[in-house]
Amino acid sequence: MKLERAIGAVLRAGVLVSSACLTLGLLMTLINPNGALPQALLNTGIIVLLATPVARVVVSIAQYTLERDWTFAMLTTVVFLELLASAVAALVFNRKL
Amino acid sequence: MPALTVTLALIIFGIGAGSGALGALLGLGGGVFLVPFLNLVLGFPFGAAAAISLTTVIATSSTVSAGRAGKQLINMKLGMLLEVATAAGSFLGGVTAQFISQSVLQKMFGVVAIAVAVIMLSRLKRRNVILDPGADPGRLGGRYYEHESGADVIYRVKRLPVAIGASFVAGNVSSLLGIGGGIIKVPVLNAWCGIPLRAAAATSAFMIGVTATAGAVIYYGHGQLQPALAAAAVLGVQVGSWGGMRFGAAASSKWLKVMMAIVLFILAAMMFVRGGR
Repeated sequence: MKLERAIGAVLRAGVLVSSACLTLGLLMTLINPNGALPQALLNTGIIVLLATPVARVVVSIAQYTLERDWTFAMLTTVVFLELLASAVAALVFNRKL
Repeated sequence: MPALTVTLALIIFGIGAGSGALGALLGLGGGVFLVPFLNLVLGFPFGAAAAISLTTVIATSSTVSAGRAGKQLINMKLGMLLEVATAAGSFLGGVTAQFISQSVLQKMFGVVAIAVAVIMLSRLKRRNVILDPGADPGRLGGRYYEHESGADVIYRVKRLPVAIGASFVAGNVSSLLGIGGGIIKVPVLNAWCGIPLRAAAATSAFMIGVTATAGAVIYYGHGQLQPALAAAAVLGVQVGSWGGMRFGAAASSKWLKVMMAIVLFILAAMMFVRGGR
């Protein structure tokens, strides 16, 4: 139950922060398309949005480890590593690097 | 890719709201409607449409699951176990999507849209699995309180390998086509694995955040995700699914499902025509 509440809090915070950044960033972009701040806000909003499920997985790893539920600590760690692999693939595909 | 204007932002916000509302009413993510609209009507490249749609899937998953966490409807253990398979499928899909041509992806989308429509039509009357109230939920099963019957629903997970296989396929399809993948998982979990429809839908909605993230990150890194357009779609879907959940609970979903199945057949046909060129 502790885990469910912690996950609920993480998801709620992520949604609030990303929605706020995206709303503000979008409105500012529409007013001034070339500003640096609106672009930064939009990217922050997207990154927070993408990071929210990852944070939820990290919280689960921590909680299962505290509970000494090793099977699920391991499974959630594998999920985290898969997300990490996606992030690595994203960097590989990024032509700027 | 069209330039961002106030009009375009409003159009995408509106399409997002419509997809989100339909998704909430039908128990689907809205991606299956959002992707063809962005790709066929607005002329976005398929990858850009899929990337935008995946961000809305993540937002929907987080919002819906935040509201449900603590109510025991989400089977978190089962979800986290199956996420191992969906995230792997999604990672592979995200990597391979970069090498698959738009016309192949459009044809694949057509096939999936037809499958979604057929599943929707075949499940018009089905409500639930038969439950054994004395069942032992076991390590992966679950228990939640059902308001209508005023009793605890207890279920046990059957045929776990089937659930794992379906989750892998759902994850793969999700990042290739930009949809959540719930339409593949939920019927399988319900029909073959003994999980009540509501718990299956809630658990799937919980999982698709991780699934879509594994795919969306790759599109974002590849430069296929336009943050401003994604913002308009995400905010639209949030408003739409909120409205759909709030006002749609009482609506009879039977005719809605038939209508949407017809829309999906039309979208599939359009995808085949475009993809055939």
